[in-house]
Amino acid sequence: MKRKVANLALSLIGPIALIIILTMPIGPLTGGLGIIEPIGGIFDSGVPAPGSQRITLNGLDAQVEVVVDHLGVPHIYAESAHDAFMALGYMHAKDRLFQITMQNYFAAGRISEIVGAYAASSDMYYRTIGLKRAAQTTLDWYEANAATNPIVATALDAINAEVEGANIFIRSMTAANTPVEFKILGFKPEPWQAVDCFVNAKMLTWGLSGGVADFQRQWERQELNNDSMYNDLFPDLMPYTVPIIQEQANISYAQYPLAPGMYPATDDPGQYTSMALADETYIPEGKLESLLNMMNEVLSPFGDRELVGSNNWAINGSKSSTGTPILAGDPHLTLQAPSVWYEAHIVVPGELDVTGTTFPGLPAVLIGHNDHVAYSFTNVGADVTDIFVEQLNPSNPDQYWYNGEYRDFTIYNEDIHTKEGTVIPFTVKESVHGPLIDSAINTYGLFGDSNPNLAMNWTGNSVTHELVASAGYMRAHNLDEFIDAMYWWDSPPQNCVFADDSGNIAMLVVGRFPVRAGYTGEYPVVALNDTVGMVSNIPYAYNPREINPSRCFVSSANQRTIDPSEYGYDILGPQANGYRGRRIFYLLSNNNGISVDDMKRFQADVVEVRAEVILPYVIDAWDSVGDGNTTISNAVDILRDWGYNMEPNLVAPTIWMYLINAIHYETFDEIRAVNTSLPLSRTPVLEQIVVTNNAYYLDDHSTVGTIETRDEILVRALHRAIDTLTSDWADEPNWVYGNRHIVHIEHLAGFTVIGDVPSRGQDTLDVAPGWVVTHGPSTRLVADLGNIQMSYMAYPGGQSGNMFSPHWSDMFDIWYSYDNVTKQHGYHILYFYSTATAFRTADTDGTLIEGTITFVP
Amino acid sequence: MGKIDDTIPEIGFLPALVITIVFGIALQLAGNWILMLIAGALGALFVRRIRKAFLLGFLGIGIAWGLLFAYLSITAQAMAVANMFIGLLGLEGLGFIVIVISILIGALLGGFGAMLGRALYELIDEFLPSGTGGEQTS
Repeated sequence: MKRKVANLALSLIGPIALIIILTMPIGPLTGGLGIIEPIGGIFDSGVPAPGSQRITLNGLDAQVEVVVDHLGVPHIYAESAHDAFMALGYMHAKDRLFQITMQNYFAAGRISEIVGAYAASSDMYYRTIGLKRAAQTTLDWYEANAATNPIVATALDAINAEVEGANIFIRSMTAANTPVEFKILGFKPEPWQAVDCFVNAKMLTWGLSGGVADFQRQWERQELNNDSMYNDLFPDLMPYTVPIIQEQANISYAQYPLAPGMYPATDDPGQYTSMALADETYIPEGKLESLLNMMNEVLSPFGDRELVGSNNWAINGSKSSTGTPILAGDPHLTLQAPSVWYEAHIVVPGELDVTGTTFPGLPAVLIGHNDHVAYSFTNVGADVTDIFVEQLNPSNPDQYWYNGEYRDFTIYNEDIHTKEGTVIPFTVKESVHGPLIDSAINTYGLFGDSNPNLAMNWTGNSVTHELVASAGYMRAHNLDEFIDAMYWWDSPPQNCVFADDSGNIAMLVVGRFPVRAGYTGEYPVVALNDTVGMVSNIPYAYNPREINPSRCFVSSANQRTIDPSEYGYDILGPQANGYRGRRIFYLLSNNNGISVDDMKRFQADVVEVRAEVILPYVIDAWDSVGDGNTTISNAVDILRDWGYNMEPNLVAPTIWMYLINAIHYETFDEIRAVNTSLPLSRTPVLEQIVVTNNAYYLDDHSTVGTIETRDEILVRALHRAIDTLTSDWADEPNWVYGNRHIVHIEHLAGFTVIGDVPSRGQDTLDVAPGWVVTHGPSTRLVADLGNIQMSYMAYPGGQSGNMFSPHWSDMFDIWYSYDNVTKQHGYHILYFYSTATAFRTADTDGTLIEGTITFVP
Repeated sequence: MGKIDDTIPEIGFLPALVITIVFGIALQLAGNWILMLIAGALGALFVRRIRKAFLLGFLGIGIAWGLLFAYLSITAQAMAVANMFIGLLGLEGLGFIVIVISILIGALLGGFGAMLGRALYELIDEFLPSGTGGEQTS
């Protein structure tokens, strides 16, 4: 008996040990080794998705048919918008749940709950900004106003339906369809709430309009310590800019007296310009650098803001080969896997027939077309965030001086919970201006301030109405309805290109632009009362816009919105360098009879305008004062024969990349002499110095008694470029551009990569910045308003978030492909059948449709 | 009720192995590796020695998982999944190691489950009357 008890006890050791081993986290594999079982673990992710399915969605009013095309794009045919968005929510969760969960936790400052305490600094930052708090405030507003405002009710119903549909998927998840990332990370996603939709929307808003330029400006100006030079080299308005809006079209102030989002507005900005401006408040240098470092280290939702940009344009019937408008748009965002975008086509008879890209987790087709209008966006890039330095009560740091009294900060308890089970205590203080951004760094005590005091006033940190606007514009039949819908679009400010089947084109600069009083908005200031601050807004009626301009096209590429001398309000930049804007303007101005194929060709254009302007001066300089160095002569000959196209099979683009940096370096010795970390101005400023032969800045002030000429500086730049290139490419003797210029699209958790293949472009229309391209056209749309059925799109990724699905990267292959004959990238047709039956009828050879999901109540 | 070992006969190693494989595959379809302890224990009903039980469970579940992986490699990109997983540990292109480790884990689960089962049966049988009504042994 004792022996048998002992046997049993001994035989328990093995199973217990195994259970411990298989459930304990091992490095990044926090799900434990048990997940490598053949069924029920990670290997389920490789199982092909079922074909046609019939799924019960409790809460539907009627059956919904979802035809999934050969690229995995759902075409949702429903009898009501509620049912359609419920189906969309289910599809979003089915295909992108990990992505949506990550972006939501990231924006809400909860990413430590998924990945562990090492991400706590990111969480502190996002808790400080308060996207989740602003999302809740926004949801509360929608709920309070839905009963009295039909379009708000429509938007809220779509949000609730999206959440409802997603939660049915989440609650029905099995091992077979649980994303592999959750298994590896050992994380179980929670059901969504309506506020999560707004958190996603706020992340979109922050990614496109957030950031604190005030700190960067102050640091650059402080370091340079020479206001004249600072104004020359860091201007708000870039030289040679072709403004987006050239024929301003106001609309009725009587009809639209408020600012977008129904915020107060003023039609008399002059009343504020006479006020004395508050002095810039200097933040201690160490603290300023800590703030900048912190913001650089924390990930931005769409990547580096300097690289977030986009192109869009439209031509009317006078410019097009079809006699009707054609519209093109390619938003440039971070290239991630899964993609930022998810395509969908939504049909509700009599109400909605819209196709294009949705943002996973939001019930809206943000970029695309419906049966009458097409639209796409670029970022305005205006500065809508200011820093106010609060004057703390010396005896109580929880109070600040405002309007003649000490007021209490609102204090939010934002404890951070980590995956390891620990709780990191964290509080955020908020003044009337906004949250104290320096709450997110722990070093403020080192710089004399014992407590945080820098309040961030961001227009997005309040109730925002972008989902009301999208509910409206998706349903618009014409320009008037579209403009009316955009009255709600307050944040983030966007250049919205528009075309309709009545022949209209427009560029609508939508969003809320603050009117500032008592300060410029460029630098941190003290504002002790409500006369100083963002006191009002530009009325929507006077937002910059063009409607059917005389040049027969509209275009934007993040450059200066409108010439300040021709506009009564200030829109604070700095905005993009403007080279893409100049190139689009050139192409559209100098071509007529433009076809859909031409539009695709323009989107693939890789002409480096910077090189086109500056390189001839370099070649002339070499020919005039070059020293005959053979290596450089050979390089100059390559550049001499170059057509400025940034093609991966050429050597010239590689040389150019080093050359432009070297010209910046050799020209701006004045900046380097102060601080080598400072940016060496911007290329339009350099272009102006070179083109105008600006003797002061071209001279190298570090050489005593010698005045260098433009030619000498450019030849020095050639030497520097070739020396650096030779050194950097020591292990790669072939200087072909595509050997080092590659597109690299990383999985959100770093599990895999799409791409790692040679990339075209650089600071070109087909944008591909840097050497490892992680930003670029996140989708490409070409919409033919004369034949809307033949409109096109492609994005770098695939519909499925499952890296083992055939739809993981199939769209990338289309997007990446390039035809040297047609000079176009690949696209797919945005199938636009108004009924499921019509779609099936068109699928004569069975290649269009992959399957059907029938959702039943 | 008679003793377990009196009720379920010893049927020889190979037939018991086949039965264990079947249990292994059937229970693994439920998608929970802990059931492999039970599959091993069920197989151990058909052998009588603890060491033999371990061997039976080890081989039975190892073979069962091996068969499942063979099927998944053909139908469900098992090698691709394994390559992704091992890549997270910095060992690119060695996906087969994941599958080998997985099979080894399954085999150990089966083996330890069979050992535990056999030890349990023998202890329980101490308290059960024999099928012929004989007195209990101590």
